[in-house]
Amino acid sequence: MTGTRLGRSVLPYAMLSPAVIVTLAIVFLPMLQTAWMSLHDYVLFRPNDFTFVGLDNFIAALQDEVFWISLKHTVIWIGVTIPAQLLLGLVTALLLNQNFPWRPVARALIIIPWALPSVVIALMWVWIYDSNYGVMNDFMLRLGLIEQAVPWLADPKTALGAIILTLTWQGFPFFAVMILAGLQSIPRSYYEAASIDGASTWRQFWHITLPGISGVLVTSVLLRTIWVANSFDVIFVMTGGGPGYSTYTLPLYAFVKARTNLDFGYGSALAVLFTLLLMGVVMVYLRRTGKAVQ
Amino acid sequence: MTIFKTLGLASSALALSAAIASADSTVRFWYHFDNADNPMDELVASFEAANPGITVEAENIPWNSYYDNLYTAVIGGNAPDAAMVKMFAQPRLIGMGALEPIGERIDAWEGKSDLQDNLLELTKAEDGQSYYLPVQYVVLYLYYRPDMFADLGLEVPKTCEDFRNVAKQLTRDTDGDGQTDIYGFGFRGGKGGHDHWGSFTLGGDGVNLVGGMENDNAIAGTQFVMDLFQEDKVFPPSAPNDGFQETIGGFKAGKTAMTIHHIGSANGMVEALGDNVDAAPVPSCGGGQWTAYGDESTAVLSSAEDKDAAWKWISFLSESGNNAKFNEATGQLPVTKSDSDGWTLHPKRFVDATVNSLPFAHLLPNTPETSDFVNTVWPVAMQRALTGEITAAEMNAEIAKLYGN
Repeated sequence: MTGTRLGRSVLPYAMLSPAVIVTLAIVFLPMLQTAWMSLHDYVLFRPNDFTFVGLDNFIAALQDEVFWISLKHTVIWIGVTIPAQLLLGLVTALLLNQNFPWRPVARALIIIPWALPSVVIALMWVWIYDSNYGVMNDFMLRLGLIEQAVPWLADPKTALGAIILTLTWQGFPFFAVMILAGLQSIPRSYYEAASIDGASTWRQFWHITLPGISGVLVTSVLLRTIWVANSFDVIFVMTGGGPGYSTYTLPLYAFVKARTNLDFGYGSALAVLFTLLLMGVVMVYLRRTGKAVQ
Repeated sequence: MTIFKTLGLASSALALSAAIASADSTVRFWYHFDNADNPMDELVASFEAANPGITVEAENIPWNSYYDNLYTAVIGGNAPDAAMVKMFAQPRLIGMGALEPIGERIDAWEGKSDLQDNLLELTKAEDGQSYYLPVQYVVLYLYYRPDMFADLGLEVPKTCEDFRNVAKQLTRDTDGDGQTDIYGFGFRGGKGGHDHWGSFTLGGDGVNLVGGMENDNAIAGTQFVMDLFQEDKVFPPSAPNDGFQETIGGFKAGKTAMTIHHIGSANGMVEALGDNVDAAPVPSCGGGQWTAYGDESTAVLSSAEDKDAAWKWISFLSESGNNAKFNEATGQLPVTKSDSDGWTLHPKRFVDATVNSLPFAHLLPNTPETSDFVNTVWPVAMQRALTGEITAAEMNAEIAKLYGN
């Protein structure tokens, strides 16, 4: 009897331990290692020189012009991309929630940008933006919107915006699919009752649809914020951060410092700083939206 | 007696295991070829037939991330056994303890006497040891469109002043729609474009990447490049981000009338343009002439499991015949005297432009800073200068700061 009780109390831990050990090994250990490296002067092409420098890398980052440029771009990058994706995704989901012929086909097609690998998307949009052969310039010249071909990715004024547009296009299907799932969970009877009471479409949307999908919205925005904040593959392929620093974001800057310049100490400090900032944003967001949803 | 038997058995077992180990040698080799015609499989098959027991796993790594991958692999303990390498990476790779000295192997190698004079000296490290075995070389020159020059009655530019003058005339709207169709020069503002900038800047009197970037001549050189883009508009608008594909593609497509590259792209140019492409040494600027000597060597990595096998493979690539085959595909020039004699794989005009550029061809400084100069400092500073974010003096100061520290 005692043996069975002991078995029952130990078994869950025994069953969970492989997952916990793997998570510790591949998530927490590298995180600790990164934090430890950020306190050192560690340049990989001088592998024997691993000097403890305390918070010097963090102080250097805060005094680094490129850090602040990258932070500004990261804020713009998240602040524009997420609302744009959300809005486009919401409109798409509302449209796809209507009854119309070929609706299953439309739903399948809408997912394509999300399903394509980021590198493919980036290369495709590089061609679209090309100042000599790209369809974007051709289209806008024909419509008379511009007088000269614009080097979208080579001009610091347009490069970040052009990449944000690309990522908006790539990411909106995620919102569309999530919100569509949320929309379908709202009982039709709510709308019927509201119609009988004479509620307008807008009031139905405000009082039934939005509360119905608020949980989905909060989760989706949180997930996408973390993904978008950390993603730099599209930027890396499209401009490599250029021209100059005009498309540098913090994860990209940390990557360039660590992988190209091999300065792992400083690169780690940038990554740690960014993680802390992102955690702060996520916590504030969760507190505010959590209350709103409840 | 039993002890002797045991020892005998043990030594036989050791000999057998050594033989097995030798028979199972695998050489992991990293290289980077832009060209679609890749001769590597053929070379590997030929090597494996001549060296039974050694398998070569040759992996083509994209050039844009070649050194990022190589350095990370070295640190991660997953470095290849041998790799293609350039001089600018040598100090860093030595600092990382990643290279195997091969001076003694080169001295004992039959092919040494067939190597072009001075190549082994050029590729020696600062500590006097040899870590690199040359496999191909190029010298950068100016490509131009003779038909466009003839249409406008222009001469090939010999100085920077001539260059600016012809580039302005070559920049034209040919169909009258108000859009520029042809630009005078295809400038490479992305990674790898330091060679273009260097040709306009580093020839100046007293100009040098180490200790000579902040004088008037050096600043005037950078300003010259900026003016070509900002004032004269003789570069395509995409120039700040353009890399190899864009500059060479633009020239082949007739979007640009001149660009700078080496013989590696000559056959592709002829395929696209026939006789409407020619080459000449880069113009003389600021009182002197400077062009980049493009080196490419192979090296044995210190982490290689079977260094003998790795050496056999890299020396095979630099031997007469094999080296010719290697360069047929890369489109560069062989390092062996016997393969160079009667070299007919490139039209003579491009070989002549290469040979005529040799007297003023230079390698980038053989210091650890050069990797950062090539990979980040130059591209970022040049892009910022071209787009008007910083001045020529500020750009040069960033380079001076890198080499000064």
